[in-house]
Amino acid sequence: MTGKRKTWQKIALYIFVIILCIIILYPYFVMLITALKNNNEMYATDHILPQTWEWSNFAEIWSAAPVLRYFINSFLIAGGATLLAILCGIPAAYALARMKFKGKSIFMGAVIMSQMFSPVVLLVGIYKMMVNINLNNSILGLILLNAAFNQAFAIWLLRGTFVSISPEMEQAAKIDGCGTVRALIKVLLPMALPGIITTLIFVFINSWNEYTIALTLISTDTFKPITVGINVFYGFNFIQWQYLFATSLCATIPVVILFLLIEKHLVAGLTSGGVKG
Amino acid sequence: MNKKKKALSTIQPYFWLLPSVLLMITMILIPIISVFKISFSEVGRSGLVKGFNGIQNYLDVFNEPAFWTTLKNTFVWTIAVVGLSTVIGFILAMVLNQEFFGRKIVRAIVIFPWATALIIQSVIWKYIVNADYGSLNVLLKKLGIIDSFVNWTGTAQTMFAWECWVGIFVTFPFVTFCVLSGLQSIDTALYESASVDGAGFWSKLFKITLPLVRPSLTVSTVLNIIYVFNSFPIVWTISKGAPADQTHTLVTYLYKFSFSDGKSGQAAAVSVIGFVILAILASIYMFMSLRGEGEE
Repeated sequence: MTGKRKTWQKIALYIFVIILCIIILYPYFVMLITALKNNNEMYATDHILPQTWEWSNFAEIWSAAPVLRYFINSFLIAGGATLLAILCGIPAAYALARMKFKGKSIFMGAVIMSQMFSPVVLLVGIYKMMVNINLNNSILGLILLNAAFNQAFAIWLLRGTFVSISPEMEQAAKIDGCGTVRALIKVLLPMALPGIITTLIFVFINSWNEYTIALTLISTDTFKPITVGINVFYGFNFIQWQYLFATSLCATIPVVILFLLIEKHLVAGLTSGGVKG
Repeated sequence: MNKKKKALSTIQPYFWLLPSVLLMITMILIPIISVFKISFSEVGRSGLVKGFNGIQNYLDVFNEPAFWTTLKNTFVWTIAVVGLSTVIGFILAMVLNQEFFGRKIVRAIVIFPWATALIIQSVIWKYIVNADYGSLNVLLKKLGIIDSFVNWTGTAQTMFAWECWVGIFVTFPFVTFCVLSGLQSIDTALYESASVDGAGFWSKLFKITLPLVRPSLTVSTVLNIIYVFNSFPIVWTISKGAPADQTHTLVTYLYKFSFSDGKSGQAAAVSVIGFVILAILASIYMFMSLRGEGEE
């Protein structure tokens, strides 16, 4: 009786999981097959799969628009923001994990509160400020903004990692004559490497995927990141879906792979890092 | 010397915080102050702030019928997307917590919507539901489910429903992984002893699982309320508020105000209204979940 029930449960589980995977993968399937259609087939509606597989679309996007430039910009923005976010985040997270001082809980509260102000709701203020300091329409401006709006997560994840590591090793290093900074760099950071890499990748992905600030601040084509740049294939009355999706795929695959690498650490860090103490 | 050293060690932590604080003050706090200031100022079309004009911007916003539609949409959007994502994400986490063949692959696939840029996800779905050549129509016709192409986004309601669907699609994986990390920390011995005591599926769910994953659910729900409320690319890409400003949420509405209509004052007022609502929503939720924890 129970054996039979178990089998049915297993079958129901598989049906659920398979349907779910089909639904999740459907948009990616559409993206791939559309990227491989040629322009004449695009609006023909009698076939799901391309009749001629235009693999050359993936070669043509680079000359059809400054797609390489967009990728380089995205890389500079996300890379710069990640570096800055981590350089500011490590000392702050270290102080929060290891030191006692007045205003610690106020600072923690402010960091968490800052999450509530997304760039979109602040866009009117951000735009005005960036125009004032002449950093609108520049890659540096986007680096600073992305780094700032990712500070909360960076501090949260890093602090969680530092708290989970016993301070004894650093104390031993200090007794041996290391300063605080040297003990941090030589002892704590190597042990915290998995958490640091998780933070790096997470901030990188967030900045790589950012759209709204870049859309608003960047008006010069050569400064656009890929998320805004793909709009060139999306003209007012003529949309080149095959190029749009070929470019989108190129922008998505590396990010998905990076995400798969950090998923385990990231989720544990998000839910536990901030809850304790 | 000793005294000096002591003084140094009391201020030392603040040096460690300094880079982070500077970055957040310049890039987040200053814009916050600026938004509040602009919301109480008269602003010219060029963006020039002309001076204090009280609550005029707020009154102008309240007098727009579209604002009230937008406000209603924002609530529907936030509650529907966060609520359904939480339910779907929770069920999926329960499923993924079982041992079955191919579990790792399914886990990897569930990551996809979370990792993909919202703008790319929005563009694909816009293409999928297109009435003239969208792939959903082509697929359903091939399968014999429909005879002629359906205009999926014909009315404001159906358009908005599709936007909610895309919102759910990109939001539930986060819930799944948060809950999953909570589930994996539960001792299986608890379930075994509950089974011995004759507890069924539902009583195990409500007596063991839910209370123990509650901290993870709180984190995912609070963060999702904030993200979904503030989510811009989906609505902006799929409808831009069309038809006739019927499908805006607060963030796309304020974007249109500011960057299409050149009314920064009103846009800032909408921003401030947004902060207030979000702060209320988040604190109600935090209050309820903290009180719930105290009761047990």
